[in-house]
Amino acid sequence: MGLTISVIGHAAALLWCAVSFGAKPYNAAPIDALPVDIISATEFSQMTAGSKTAPKTAPPKALVEKVAEAKPVDNPAAKVTEKPEIVSAFAPEPKPEPEAKPEPKPKEAEKKVAPAKPDPIAEALKKDEAKKPEPKKQEAKVPAPPKKPPPPQQKFDPKQIEQRLALLDKREAQRHAATGDVLNPTVGLGTSTGTAPRLSQNEIDALRARLRECWNLPAGAQDAKDLNVEVRIMLRQDGSLSADPTVLNRSANPFFQVAAESALRAVRTCAPFSFLPIAKYEAWKDIEINFDPQYMFRS
Amino acid sequence: MIERDSTLSPLLLNRRTLLVGAAATTLAGGARPAGAALRLDVTQGNVQPMPIALPDFIGGTPGDMEGGRGVTEVITANLRRSGLFAPIDQAAYIERIANIDVMPRFDDWRPLNAQALVTGRITRQGDGRLKAEFRLWDVFAGQQLMGQQYFSTPDNWRRIAHIISDAVYERLTGEKGYFDTRIVFIDETGPKERRIKRLAIMDQDGAGVRYLTRGDDLVLTPRFSPSTQEITYMAYGQGDPRVYLLNIETGQREIVGNFPGMTFAPRFSPDGQRVIMSLQQGGNANIFVMDLRSKTTTRLTDSPAIDTAPSYSPDGSRICFESDRGGSQQIYLMAAGGGGAQRISFGEGSYSTPVWSPRGDYIAFTKRGRGSFGIGVITPDGKNERLLTEGYHNEGPTWAPNGRVLMFFRDPGGNAGPALFTIDITGRNEQRIPTPSYASDPAWSPLLS
Repeated sequence: MGLTISVIGHAAALLWCAVSFGAKPYNAAPIDALPVDIISATEFSQMTAGSKTAPKTAPPKALVEKVAEAKPVDNPAAKVTEKPEIVSAFAPEPKPEPEAKPEPKPKEAEKKVAPAKPDPIAEALKKDEAKKPEPKKQEAKVPAPPKKPPPPQQKFDPKQIEQRLALLDKREAQRHAATGDVLNPTVGLGTSTGTAPRLSQNEIDALRARLRECWNLPAGAQDAKDLNVEVRIMLRQDGSLSADPTVLNRSANPFFQVAAESALRAVRTCAPFSFLPIAKYEAWKDIEINFDPQYMFRS
Repeated sequence: MIERDSTLSPLLLNRRTLLVGAAATTLAGGARPAGAALRLDVTQGNVQPMPIALPDFIGGTPGDMEGGRGVTEVITANLRRSGLFAPIDQAAYIERIANIDVMPRFDDWRPLNAQALVTGRITRQGDGRLKAEFRLWDVFAGQQLMGQQYFSTPDNWRRIAHIISDAVYERLTGEKGYFDTRIVFIDETGPKERRIKRLAIMDQDGAGVRYLTRGDDLVLTPRFSPSTQEITYMAYGQGDPRVYLLNIETGQREIVGNFPGMTFAPRFSPDGQRVIMSLQQGGNANIFVMDLRSKTTTRLTDSPAIDTAPSYSPDGSRICFESDRGGSQQIYLMAAGGGGAQRISFGEGSYSTPVWSPRGDYIAFTKRGRGSFGIGVITPDGKNERLLTEGYHNEGPTWAPNGRVLMFFRDPGGNAGPALFTIDITGRNEQRIPTPSYASDPAWSPLLS
């Protein structure tokens, strides 16, 4: 009995194994290939170190010329009198005739104000309210307030002006340059030498692939030697051409003109190269492309 | 006839265009500005056809509208058939060209990815002649590449269209065109057992077929003279087959030479002064050349084998021919004056009907082997052999005058008959040429103008 159960049990287990494992073959889902450049540490440092033969350029302008110093804030009121006259590019206001004109003006104002203008509305009100008893008298006095002397500020005092200006601009005269915590020796997007960013191999390949798509090979280029065309292009940060591309070489080959035009057409058709990383702009703002058809038709 | 009157002056509407044009040409030789940050080699290009926009030629007067459309259709078909251009569907055009003397709005053509644009005008003039003008534009550079005008009689409008096609083709590819040419071929009608073969001539696009013989004789292997006025061919009349010379314009016909025995496989020399052919005597055939003016003949080969299908190099200094002196049919080269021959084909199978390219760089041949016939090319030094097409039966290659395209005939077997095909020297772009009925043995004329 036990034997039978054992046999049946084992047989069942074996059958299950055969069905379940056999029916599902190993499913190795294909993974999309990801192109990877394998480079050594030395190569990497060489790639990033810049080239020895690169032309020297003038040292880039520093963005910051001076590190800002934290100054103790003075008491403005105390120092105003000691300060010499501030020469400011922006404040020509105080200069015009401090003595002559400003004084008569307030007086005139006073004079004009003095004869209380007959206010038509007030008159009308008077007439209306003449019938009414007491409270009108106060209202009738309304024109009176203009007789008040003008506010004290109107009285011109050159010293006061100086004081006021001093209140407005207490800083030393200085150039308008950015300030920062640290001196920044390089321009933000890197330089074309030294440790400047370089396009990675993949980025160069992308650029090359794009140019390849746009380049309609001239039919006459077949079997042609010395028909490579070197084109120099200048790009803006958005990847568009900042100047018309120029052909750098020439050849006696009769097809050269057509070949050169096809290369220029490729560049113009391709632009803008907006896929180039803006962070490495210095590395691709100026490119020399060698269009060489001679390997195309080897068969 | 067609006169090319003058070159249309380029439209230079602003200084910038002018400067750009000047820079492109002058800088080419100038000093190299130093220090680009990135250098890049592009060694692969696009072999896709170049997109080109061909709006209908406008009519100089309202009555010329139809003519303008016809000319554009012919040019469009020519450029498309060449395989190097992809004419863009007219329905996609944004700008409607109303005047060809102003700059097109390039911004309307760039979204179509049109790299070139052809605008033109057809005008019937007071004296009855037709004036055709056209301008070719580089859309992305915003420049005129060329502009020309032609005068002709109105019934010549097809030739004008072919000449404009050649001009556009040459300006954009750097190669000479081949559209203003004609094809002479054997027109075949009737059932397979009693085929009537007539000599016929047509434009390279299959239009304007005209018959040169009535079909009484069996005709074979017509060849054009460089003057395009005469053809030489072989015909079975009464008795032995003979080589004839026929003037296309006058219809005048004469036998070439007076040999005992059969003459065949004639071909003109590049200067048109001589005809080279084979003469069969007994079991073997040798190559002879005859001077057409002095009628003197010279024997060039003397072998116990069959030497045939001779063809001159474009400079006339050498001759390639087929011979079975080594056992099987192979291609040999010798000097134009005869003498020692050198074998250049060494592949499997047999090689026949060698034809030297007008450019001189290749020799086309028919290769038979393993039950099929193929058309191939080989360089005169015997290297770079390449088969362009292969099948049940392909034969009789003939070169377009620019040495870039080959025409041949293909017989599919069975009850069907042969038809004419063209193929690019790269082996791409095989096209069937429309003919009224079956057709074989094509021969391409040189450029007519």
